[in-house]
Amino acid sequence: MKMKPPDSNSAKFDRELDDLFAAYLQACPDPEPSPEFMPRLWQRIEARRSASFTFGRLTRAFVTAAAAICILLGLMQAYLPSQPVLYTQTYVEALQAENSTDAPSMVEALFVEDGGPSYQ
Amino acid sequence: MLVDATLIERARNGDDAAFNEIVVASRRRVLGTIARLIGRREDVEDVGQQVFLRLYLSLDQLRTPDVFDPWLYRLTVNAAYDYLRRQRRRNEMRMADLPEQVVMSADAAAGGKREHEEAEKARTREYVQGLLASVSEADRSLLILKEVEGLSLKELEKVYHVKENALKVRLFRARQRVLKALSAQREGAMEAGSQR
Repeated sequence: MKMKPPDSNSAKFDRELDDLFAAYLQACPDPEPSPEFMPRLWQRIEARRSASFTFGRLTRAFVTAAAAICILLGLMQAYLPSQPVLYTQTYVEALQAENSTDAPSMVEALFVEDGGPSYQ
Repeated sequence: MLVDATLIERARNGDDAAFNEIVVASRRRVLGTIARLIGRREDVEDVGQQVFLRLYLSLDQLRTPDVFDPWLYRLTVNAAYDYLRRQRRRNEMRMADLPEQVVMSADAAAGGKREHEEAEKARTREYVQGLLASVSEADRSLLILKEVEGLSLKELEKVYHVKENALKVRLFRARQRVLKALSAQREGAMEAGSQR
């Protein structure tokens, strides 16, 4: 593989680009701020501060309301009479009870469909 | 460092007068950097105020006054970057795209030495911005901070929180792209000249 010969053009453009950047700095000097710069900046800061303050107040109100509801629900849970228990068995116990019946329901269903003799 | 460390410390503790002094001391430099990054003079102050607003809101996150300068540069670059992203949709016709003859006649019409100088500066601005349009906004700001603002790689490392080697690679690639755009423009101008 042959190496490419050094391109004199690329060095020329490199220098030209450096000169252009230097000229760009001269063409864009640091601008003088207008007299309204500081008053407008403080207006913005104040606007943001008041927005943050309102948001903070809303957040505090929401947190207080949530805490009050939690306490209320806790008290209700503690002092109100407890509800009657609907399920006394666990799921496994209920399943075991279901399977321990004497007549297998599948077989019974087959007899009924064939019109054959049934247990009744 | 343009701003005194005790002033920064006072501003961090909520002293508005100290913050005011920080803004007064650093606003020209910040506005200058923004002007070179965004290239639109009419919006420079607006972006500058955005920078100082962000500074005000985030001053308590500054770990130590020593890193204030890179911190401020970072805020400046981010605000300029946000502005450029908002402006991306605007597809304006640039002076750099105009045929040279039109630019020459615009110069001539300006008349007077000062006006001529101003027109020349405007042409340089537009031309360099046209060249920088060949790279992404992120690479463009990196190139400007390095090549125009004169920040060292060490300083850029602090601004971008990126390793020096990675920055070198990014800068090299960005510069190559700008060089390619420059040579294409020069060759185009030469071809146009030879056809006349």
